Amino acid sequence: MKDEPRIGVFVCHCGTNIGGYVDVPSVVEYARTLVGVVHVERNTYTCADDGLTAIKKAIKDHNLNRVIVASCTPRTHAPLFRSAVADAGLNPYLFELVNIREHCSWVHMKEKEAATQKAKDLIRMGVARTALLEPQEEIRISVTPSALVIGGGIAGMTAALSIANQGFKVDIVEKDSEMGGMLRYLNDLYPGGRKASLVMDEFIGKVKNHPKIEVHTSSTIKKVDGYIGNFTVSVQNEKVPLDIKTGIIVVATGADEFKPVNLYGYSGSGNVLTELELEERLKNGSLQKLDSAVFIQCVGSRGEGRSYCSRICCNVAIKNSKLLKQTFPEADINILHNGIHAYGTYEKMYREAQELGVGFRKYSKEKPPEVTVDGERMRVKLYHELMGREIEYTPDIIVLSTPLIPHPENGDLSRMLKVPLGQDGFFLEAHVKLRPVDFATDGIFLCGSARAPADIIESINQGYSAASRAAIPLMNGYVQAEAITAVVDETKCIGCGYCASICPYRAASMNEKTVIAEEVTYLTKKSYINPVLCKGCGTCAAGCPAGAITPNHFTLPQIMATIKAFQQPGAYIYDRIKA
Amino acid sequence: MPHAGRWQVNEMKSVLVIGGGIAGIQSSLDLANRGYHIYLVEREPSIGGHMALLDKTFPTNDCSMCILAPKMNECNAHPNIDILSYSEVMDLSGNAGDFTARVQRKARYINEEKCTGCGDCTARCPSKVPNEYNGNLDKRKSIFLPYPQAVPRVMTIDREHCIYLTKGKCGNCKKVCNAGAVDYEQKDTFVDLNVAAVIVATGFDMFDPTHMQEYGYGKYANVITAMEYERMICASGPTGGHLETAPDKEHPGKIAFIQCVGSRDLQHNPYCCSVCCMHAIKESILAREHYEDIKPYIFYTDLRAVGKGFEEYAVRGEKEYGIKYIRGRPGQIIEDASTKKLTVWYDDTVNRKVKGLEVDMAVLCTSLIPAKGSDKLAAILDIELDEYGLYKSRDELTAPLDTRRPGVFIAGYCQSPKDIPESVAQGSGAAARATEVAGGAYI
Amino acid sequence: MKQIIKRTKAYYCVECGKCSGSCPVARVNEGFSPRVIVERALSGMKGEIEGDRELWTCLTCEACTTKCPSTVKFSEFIRGMRSSAFNSGYTSRCSQGGLLHSIQRVQSYRDLVQNRLQWISDDLKTSTEGEVLYFTGCLPYFENLFSGFVNPLEIARSTVKILNKAGISPVVSPNERCCGHDLLWTGNVETFQKLARLNVEMIKESGASRIVTSCPECLRTLKLDYADFLEGTDIEIVHISEFISSLIKNNDIKLNRAGIMTYQDPCRLGRHMGIYDAPREVIKSMGELVEMNKNREESSCCGVSAWATCEGNSKQMQIERLIEAKSTGADMLVTSCPKCLIHLRCAVHNQIPVEKEKVDIPVVDLTVAACRALAGE
Repeated sequence: MKDEPRIGVFVCHCGTNIGGYVDVPSVVEYARTLVGVVHVERNTYTCADDGLTAIKKAIKDHNLNRVIVASCTPRTHAPLFRSAVADAGLNPYLFELVNIREHCSWVHMKEKEAATQKAKDLIRMGVARTALLEPQEEIRISVTPSALVIGGGIAGMTAALSIANQGFKVDIVEKDSEMGGMLRYLNDLYPGGRKASLVMDEFIGKVKNHPKIEVHTSSTIKKVDGYIGNFTVSVQNEKVPLDIKTGIIVVATGADEFKPVNLYGYSGSGNVLTELELEERLKNGSLQKLDSAVFIQCVGSRGEGRSYCSRICCNVAIKNSKLLKQTFPEADINILHNGIHAYGTYEKMYREAQELGVGFRKYSKEKPPEVTVDGERMRVKLYHELMGREIEYTPDIIVLSTPLIPHPENGDLSRMLKVPLGQDGFFLEAHVKLRPVDFATDGIFLCGSARAPADIIESINQGYSAASRAAIPLMNGYVQAEAITAVVDETKCIGCGYCASICPYRAASMNEKTVIAEEVTYLTKKSYINPVLCKGCGTCAAGCPAGAITPNHFTLPQIMATIKAFQQPGAYIYDRIKA
Repeated sequence: MPHAGRWQVNEMKSVLVIGGGIAGIQSSLDLANRGYHIYLVEREPSIGGHMALLDKTFPTNDCSMCILAPKMNECNAHPNIDILSYSEVMDLSGNAGDFTARVQRKARYINEEKCTGCGDCTARCPSKVPNEYNGNLDKRKSIFLPYPQAVPRVMTIDREHCIYLTKGKCGNCKKVCNAGAVDYEQKDTFVDLNVAAVIVATGFDMFDPTHMQEYGYGKYANVITAMEYERMICASGPTGGHLETAPDKEHPGKIAFIQCVGSRDLQHNPYCCSVCCMHAIKESILAREHYEDIKPYIFYTDLRAVGKGFEEYAVRGEKEYGIKYIRGRPGQIIEDASTKKLTVWYDDTVNRKVKGLEVDMAVLCTSLIPAKGSDKLAAILDIELDEYGLYKSRDELTAPLDTRRPGVFIAGYCQSPKDIPESVAQGSGAAARATEVAGGAYI
Repeated sequence: MKQIIKRTKAYYCVECGKCSGSCPVARVNEGFSPRVIVERALSGMKGEIEGDRELWTCLTCEACTTKCPSTVKFSEFIRGMRSSAFNSGYTSRCSQGGLLHSIQRVQSYRDLVQNRLQWISDDLKTSTEGEVLYFTGCLPYFENLFSGFVNPLEIARSTVKILNKAGISPVVSPNERCCGHDLLWTGNVETFQKLARLNVEMIKESGASRIVTSCPECLRTLKLDYADFLEGTDIEIVHISEFISSLIKNNDIKLNRAGIMTYQDPCRLGRHMGIYDAPREVIKSMGELVEMNKNREESSCCGVSAWATCEGNSKQMQIERLIEAKSTGADMLVTSCPKCLIHLRCAVHNQIPVEKEKVDIPVVDLTVAACRALAGE
């Protein structure tokens, strides 16, 4: 904005929160002396109805083109003030909130003089900055009312069903020829022992019969373009390649079972099995006779190479040991463990297994069990930590509980979607505590074992969670982009790609551009920041070596002005004669 | 996420969320952000639940209130969310899509519209009572904010201890209030809310280990519960973040954390609380961060670090923060009456010897039990409790968020023991289920 | 052994270690760990447990059982394993050269004629038939063996005196046998059953509908372990402390002040039977009660159980307990179990490796103290 700034300053008492510790009248008088300020008033509670009305009135009466409220933290009332300013016809980004409560009165309660001076300093700095503020535009992007779920396992199906039930079209892209994911290989499910096939058929039935869900089996993702609300996903299958336009993507690709080659006598054949291989034998009834079985927990996890606990394996082992004991009551079944992680209400399953006579023996990490396979005979030597001695078992089968590991294809998918993987290779969510199913990249969500090992119940919970997060932009029909974004000056951009590599929201990308200079035409890369994805964090601008990026609303001149106003108070004061 | 201040309120249905902890807050925000109107009913004077009382959260060691308060404020500022604090649901009639909930709004003797939470009244109140929000380690006034970040930021008068309300004397707060917000004549009121769906997210309560004589809680000054520890180590707590031991308030040299007090216990709560192993590790790490010379010992049965990043956190605790993990549940804690130091008797798995470890402080990681009044609320909502007193899912395996009553959903700890990320996930999940019901396509 | 495991729910053990952490014996005896014994059992090592000397070290005091979060009945487990060992041919360990167990075994002969009523002096009123039976237990035999430092029969006399004061003339039978507690807990189930049958015959002959005993072990045995044998009868069984406590509540007797007292909760009365308050009420009516640090469920056993073992462990436990008692500043240590009385007194009477001043607090039986404190005597 090129016209003279006409700034209105509203100093809030906030009852006694500010007024009791800062000399507000003196601050008001001071504010009147600042360059650019044409109106100053004080309110008891600026956020109250009369305060907001006063702001709107002052804008009209004094033809203000900038507004400063000196009060509390932006977290509480900035949106409210921006609304009020917008109602009076001013662009809401010509508004600035100076915090003289959390940053001043509340932390200097016993130093009234110093606090008052500080409040004056803060307002002066605010004024210097506000004079340079420019209007910002809030863009609304419309959202295609459909979602695409990658993965047709329990998590994916749950998410798809919930999104469809909320009224939106869903495409499920499943790489196998059948949906169901891990459910296809499981025998029964804990707690309670329901058959996996029953659950699977129930969900697949609902999915197939749902008028809003379209399933693409034997299909993989080849390319992903676009951003929230407007993705174009290229799907490859045996027939015709397909481009699906969709608003939201949910990643529900699950995980693989680790095959412990060369550990504990495992060879892929024979009687040393993984849990899934045991499930298969239980399913197809090939286990006819059993005298003794030994489960070994934590094979390939919680150690070097793979540090995490795979969460579900203790419960799986307990479930299977119960089933084996119920089927072969005379058999000697033992679970050799390094701590039984039957968390939550699964503790009950642990007791049920004990009641049936399943033995639980702890080994120590330093001295894990030793397996020798001698043709048909297998021997397991356990060093029992508590008793301090060795016990030997001669089981018919040895079941190794191995962790769930990320799919090898995760890397490709993460690159296509521009979402990160964590250290362990699983997809990395936006925030471990408070945003477990969001990605930092808008419009893409995550659920199930693709994120971290999860059992059926947890996958269903997370599937619903992703569906809820997805429903927000879908139901609104639009996404309001952050108004404060960063912009690239292409003439300065040298194409180094640093911004694209550090943007946490994947908003910056490098695009090929043909540059026609006076005597030469060449192909180079220029950065483009997608205003829809950009959150205005400023990281790119800080990192750009060429200074080609301007973070709107926090431009270099604005920041320098604020600093200068702090350092040189005199430059910003002149006497004014009030009308 | 788009700014709450720019939302239009759609002419869509309303949803009742019972419980303003992290799960309830997540449900409310998800639904409000897609245009539903939310009634968030919370029986405490402020929303925030137990997460508001924690110092830091595992495994990131984020400051709990720092990540929670923005969400609390978002609820408060959101035009689609009405927070009914200090209120409880008394009745629920009707069916999915069209319920009527009767909510009792307890009188806080403060006019919510007028109060700004400035605190002038609290300063003048002469009535001090044990502060349940600081683990009863210090006192609060009878007119109070539970904590500085309380939402809504409105005072409450505790009718059981207020001198004016019980004895007709004092009245300081009314005299001092500039906003004229004190109203001693206020009565409990009832409101009827018409809602399309209900989400129950009432969380949990803490087990009281006083009757477990072997640990001496309540008898020995230096035996405390994990929640008391959290409040002590929190910079905004009663000791300003200092761990104080009797008799002279010195910080402890050795701390023992005792897991599974009252949980995994057929004499008390049979289930595993899911979070205590992790929070003991977190608390040990915090102790080390506060005091370099502290030696933490964690006495566990199984160290359940099953979530994402948890096992690594446990290993880091040992390698970088010097935690000693001892596999053995202590049998007895004895106090030396003169020094107030404690001896923890335990069986050492590795050496197979019974030893007494002298420590300066013992923290009991107590069980998390179903929230008080769960049985009453279950009867009001016509939903079932499971054998533990937690709310029962319609189908534990395939419909964990549903109850037997269509349109009433459950989320968070009140459904089954879980930590914060899982509570958040279920909060969102229940919001999805509620949308399906309110949107009409209920399956 | 599988039966024992099932009956005692030992399969629920998760190796948490709370048992060993609470065990008073494990603190003084490195070789003894309840946790390890259970684990051995779950791993099928029957022979090893039966042959282990430490099988007899357990005091079955239930310090562990009351606390086990998996509700493993460890004391019953030990009892079962000892019986199993006995049947496998192992001899029970027995202190005092096997004397006490021999005396108890002898009482199982039907034709035995005992001379066990000599202590009944003229001022004591007893009957041969009646509503209330006083079960004396082994007190007469203990008197003969330990009169050097304790008078067990004074307990018997005090009990009858108090019953008389309440207007009751109890049946005291010459045909009473040892209740069998010690033999039952050291693996000799068969002899216990013989004693039980003889005692039940005697009880039925007496016509009693109520049995009073001054020994918690007799109480436990009669109430719990005789349940099958007494089936069909509706006999009430009480400990003398409960009886005295109700007399005081109804103002039927009054006690003078006797001093400041501290109290040892006997294992069988406290943890086994849950009676903690009645003795305390009696004490409080004749003076002040100062609790030891370890009291009620936390009370420490007197160090010997069922006359099985009495060695270094026991002495150490007794000395620690007496030091604890003396340091409360009380005038006397009161207990309501003749065994506790004998074992604690024995500790002071004999050679001990600490100064006598640390442990020489007078140890007195509750009934005896109450009788002495009777107002109007």
